[in-house]
Amino acid sequence: MTEMEPSHLEPAPDMRKLVADDVNVYYGTFQAIKHASLTMRGQHVTALIGPSGCGKTTFLRALNRMHDLTPGARVEGEVLLDGEDIYGPDADPVVIRHRIGMVFQRANPFPKTIYENVIYGPRIHGERNKAKLDAIAERALRQAALWDEVKDRLNRSALDLSGGQQQRLCIARAVALDPEVILMDEPASALDPIATSKIEDLITQLTEQFTVVIVTHSMQQAARISDYTAFFHLGEIVEVGPTNQIFTHPKEKRTEDYITGRFG
Amino acid sequence: MAITAPSARSVAATGSVRVRKLADAVATIVLWVMASSIIVMLAAFVIYMVYLGWSALTPSFVFGKPLEHAAGGGIGPEIYNSFYILILTLAFTIPIAVSAGIYLQEYALPGTFRSVVQFSAESLATVPSIVMGLFGLLIFVYTFHWGYTALGGALTLTLLNLPALVRVTQEALASVPDTLREASMALGGTKWQTITRVVLPSAIGRLTTGVVLIAGRIYGETAALIFTAGLSVTGNQPYDLNPFHTAETLAVHLWYTHSESVVPDVDRIGNGSALVLLIMVLAFNVAARIAGRVLTKRFTGRTS
Repeated sequence: MTEMEPSHLEPAPDMRKLVADDVNVYYGTFQAIKHASLTMRGQHVTALIGPSGCGKTTFLRALNRMHDLTPGARVEGEVLLDGEDIYGPDADPVVIRHRIGMVFQRANPFPKTIYENVIYGPRIHGERNKAKLDAIAERALRQAALWDEVKDRLNRSALDLSGGQQQRLCIARAVALDPEVILMDEPASALDPIATSKIEDLITQLTEQFTVVIVTHSMQQAARISDYTAFFHLGEIVEVGPTNQIFTHPKEKRTEDYITGRFG
Repeated sequence: MAITAPSARSVAATGSVRVRKLADAVATIVLWVMASSIIVMLAAFVIYMVYLGWSALTPSFVFGKPLEHAAGGGIGPEIYNSFYILILTLAFTIPIAVSAGIYLQEYALPGTFRSVVQFSAESLATVPSIVMGLFGLLIFVYTFHWGYTALGGALTLTLLNLPALVRVTQEALASVPDTLREASMALGGTKWQTITRVVLPSAIGRLTTGVVLIAGRIYGETAALIFTAGLSVTGNQPYDLNPFHTAETLAVHLWYTHSESVVPDVDRIGNGSALVLLIMVLAFNVAARIAGRVLTKRFTGRTS
């Protein structure tokens, strides 16, 4: 490591789990993301912050090809998962989304039982063995810190759970596939403070195994749970760095204005 | 002036507030009366029909064969034909309409082809059933030389009810939130897996309700069947499964006895048939609700 390159900007190659390189996203003719480059380290939490409409969710959705589903949306540039471009000619969205899971802003459990929700992913990828599925369900629900609350009612509807439980169920559903990266789009924004703190604790635990990229509106949340923070403004990444540094010694004026509440 | 001086304003209702509250009360009463009148109309209708037809509902009427000239004919074969044509029609309609609905709602991008399919379905929906009956007469009876057949009747009814079921399918699918589709795709589901495992199970309740309501319409349809399925039942084998036999349904029989037949007990047969038809159609409506609820619970683990 040279003195010229601070460690957070150029992590060792094996730490570069997910690398966005000069990513542009267009909705029709509107360019929502402009030349965004960002390295997301393995087993760390990277937070994407910025004012509403700055493009952080758009960027997040470019990381597992969710824009494929939006008519008129187009992504340019490379997103490298362990060095392989997920937009490359051989890359398959089904495989990519198996390796890169996603949790949405509003909990979106399927109108099925709790059990059926958790094993949905493994099942559509071909797992039929009941004992294996049971084991996956228990493991995923434990990882999502939900097992103790639901173990006696796995065959009840997921829609009967509270909002915070539903969101943890969605996290369990994502981790059931054993992804390498989990993308989270403001996963706690619709939850009360207690449920939010449970989700935050959970995210911290998840980094033992997973790489987490999280979009958040709450700067406090970014400060509490993330290791690295990228500040987005008007579709550009203005500044990236260790969370600590971004919040205490931002280099860019716009970052400082945002985190001190002068705009946004 | 003291900060705690009582305000000159009061919390009691003023003149203009009273007028607005009166308008509110009047609107509430008027709307309630209008809504209640629907219940009254249905109840009055049902009670009158039961009053007229009740005495006709004997086993020999419900299960007996119709008579051409004498009094005392029954409607057994007509009830059977109604169900037979209904099942044939649904067997054609459901696969075509549900597939088309899935395509239009889940696959088709806005564009020429989707517009043309949508326009065709809507145009088909505006064709009067008597015109559809004449079309069936030309195609199935004359061109194909089938004569009056259950199959010809069922195919005509298929044409008649396709648009409605396509629409029902589209609306049932549209009621499934996109967030569920996204959730499935984000887990690596393909489009087809997403549709079969998430979208259709979530829509099955509404879809079933729609199908059963359309079944009620098919059961009561006359104009399209008069020229296609015929006005008589197969004499020696009134309960057969041959789709190329003539098959007069209960609704058609009701029309026929009142307008064409020469039997002396027209009123008895008419009133009795009408009551049986009414009971059947109401039963379909109730069944639609129950089936919708049961299937929703079965597929989603939840009522409502």
